[in-house]
Amino acid sequence: MEKQPSQARDTSCLTRIPPRPHWLVRLILLLFVLQLGWLTWQFRKDISDMAQRGWSHRWGTAVREEDPFYQWIAEMGRNTPPGVTYIFLDNYEAGKEVEARYHLYPRQHLLLLPEAPPSLLFYTIRQNNVTYIFDRDAKRPPGPGLQAALALGAAQPLNLPGPGRAYRVNPKLITGGFYD
Amino acid sequence: MIETALLLGRLVLGLAGVIIVGCLLVTWLAPAFTRLEKAAAGFGLGALVITLWMLTLSGLGECFTLPLVMLPPLALVAGLWGGKKLSVARLSKRAGFKAQTFLRPQTPSPTPYGVWDWVFISLLAIFFLLATARAVMYPVWAWDAIAIWGFKAKVFYLQGAINLCGFEAHNYYPNLVPLLVSYLYLWLGQVNDHLVKLVFPLWGAALLAMLFGMLKRLGLTRTQALGVTTFFALNGITFISHLFIVYADLGMTYFALGAAGFIYLWLTGAAPPRTLPVAALCFAGLAWSKFEGPPLAVTILLAAVLTLLWLRPPESGRRLASLAWPVGGLLLGYLPWRLFALSHGIETGSDHILGFYWNQLFKALPALGRGLINLTQFGILWPTALLALTAARRKIFTSPLLFLALFLGGNFLALLLAYAVAPTSPFEFHLYLRATLDRLLLHLAPLAALVIGEGLKFLETGEAMPAGKVLSSS
Repeated sequence: MEKQPSQARDTSCLTRIPPRPHWLVRLILLLFVLQLGWLTWQFRKDISDMAQRGWSHRWGTAVREEDPFYQWIAEMGRNTPPGVTYIFLDNYEAGKEVEARYHLYPRQHLLLLPEAPPSLLFYTIRQNNVTYIFDRDAKRPPGPGLQAALALGAAQPLNLPGPGRAYRVNPKLITGGFYD
Repeated sequence: MIETALLLGRLVLGLAGVIIVGCLLVTWLAPAFTRLEKAAAGFGLGALVITLWMLTLSGLGECFTLPLVMLPPLALVAGLWGGKKLSVARLSKRAGFKAQTFLRPQTPSPTPYGVWDWVFISLLAIFFLLATARAVMYPVWAWDAIAIWGFKAKVFYLQGAINLCGFEAHNYYPNLVPLLVSYLYLWLGQVNDHLVKLVFPLWGAALLAMLFGMLKRLGLTRTQALGVTTFFALNGITFISHLFIVYADLGMTYFALGAAGFIYLWLTGAAPPRTLPVAALCFAGLAWSKFEGPPLAVTILLAAVLTLLWLRPPESGRRLASLAWPVGGLLLGYLPWRLFALSHGIETGSDHILGFYWNQLFKALPALGRGLINLTQFGILWPTALLALTAARRKIFTSPLLFLALFLGGNFLALLLAYAVAPTSPFEFHLYLRATLDRLLLHLAPLAALVIGEGLKFLETGEAMPAGKVLSSS
């Protein structure tokens, strides 16, 4: 096997002082050191948070449990059987719908906009035998679809405190014949 | 506390399983690799073998259990490795000398570590300490991890199979990363989405070890190779972030380095014998990691073909034919999942190309430029790579450095074209750019580190790679 140049150079280091790096290499090293300072600055909050969590043993699942949305979702997970189908009312861009789906699996997850009209909401409930509706934001008023379901008695609010609202749904009460 | 320690022990066993399978495979394929190279390549190839086997199990309708997932691949690679060891021992017995001397080349006594070596090693150690802590202390939270990769991993573990019924989470995406995480859940016996993230810093370490090995093969001293590796790892937040956010891009980046880096070593004649089969498996990993893998693999092949046609080394025809190895690897990584998807009625989503949008191209062009000089994302990595290419500009058209230049330049062009045809609405386009550009550049970044290594060699010694010829090695 042919001798590698690196081996030859490594051996030569034993017998002579390594040459001074090229000025360009030195300049880049200097810039790199400055960049390392910038990188450390970027991660300062993470480093501080990790140190605090490590010290107080608040890591792993404990991190998640600090989030009110997760607490609410976990509460819903405890109060709904694994085989059910639910509608999550939210816009995808908020990023909370994917969290709900992740934590509530294996429950069947369907996403609709909060402004979903009665026709769409009722069709989805009937078609998928939906038994729960979770609205991510308790502060906003119920959309037209949800209002219609409440008026019909097909949706009943559940007492699960948190940032959102949960409803128990009876799909049998939605008999069809409803038009927007 | 004891429970966490036990879980950690099981996780370490799972990770060791990946490395053992991969190392046996690499040792069987390319015995001349150093131990570090075997471990570095072994991690990715182990993950590839185990996850492809899990895909096969799902295809056969078998449920994932730890013995069923672990034992057959382990038995297969151990059999291959043992068979080869036995045949070499028989051969050497007949020839009358020890197998060890036949297999291992004489290595000089190791050089003592200098100050700079320790500086770089310390920086890397701090880097990994922070990345590992950041990974295991926090559960999965990043968008794609929750929406796609981590979610699929949870589903596959709970279902005991690749079962995509009832949800739409880019179901057509390849599943190397979700299945690897599911495999670790099998070892853990539960969905523990913070401890399992230990696999990502380890994967990053394997990537850096692979890069270091390649730089050494290219002729850099240990100090230089360590310096360039550290320079790559600690430039900007993009690489370090991918060590804990559970995205598939780290896997893509690892396999992109394996595929393109080994091909480059092969072109320069610095690759150990039988490197191409290892490179081929990296091509497979590339296709099995992400949907963008096959196009990236094609750009590597295209750059290699153009380099060979331009340089016209001796035995060009044979060398071009040798590229059948990576083509085979690409098919190995692409076809099984496509066949599974077809047989299970999984629709392949695609971004339909509706037209060429000049306004998007004109927005992407400065965005790419800004991305390359973005201090937060990549530090000074890309400007340094450009500087290195400029320093070695005379060698670009007379040496295999052309391959790296073509690969990087070609991919920048491909990125611009992809953005120009992306079917996004005008008000979403800048968000789309912001969300994807750093990841796409990350896939190419280790190759920029190889360019920097070549530039450093050129500056320090006045000469780069073997000029004007491509040596034969495989």
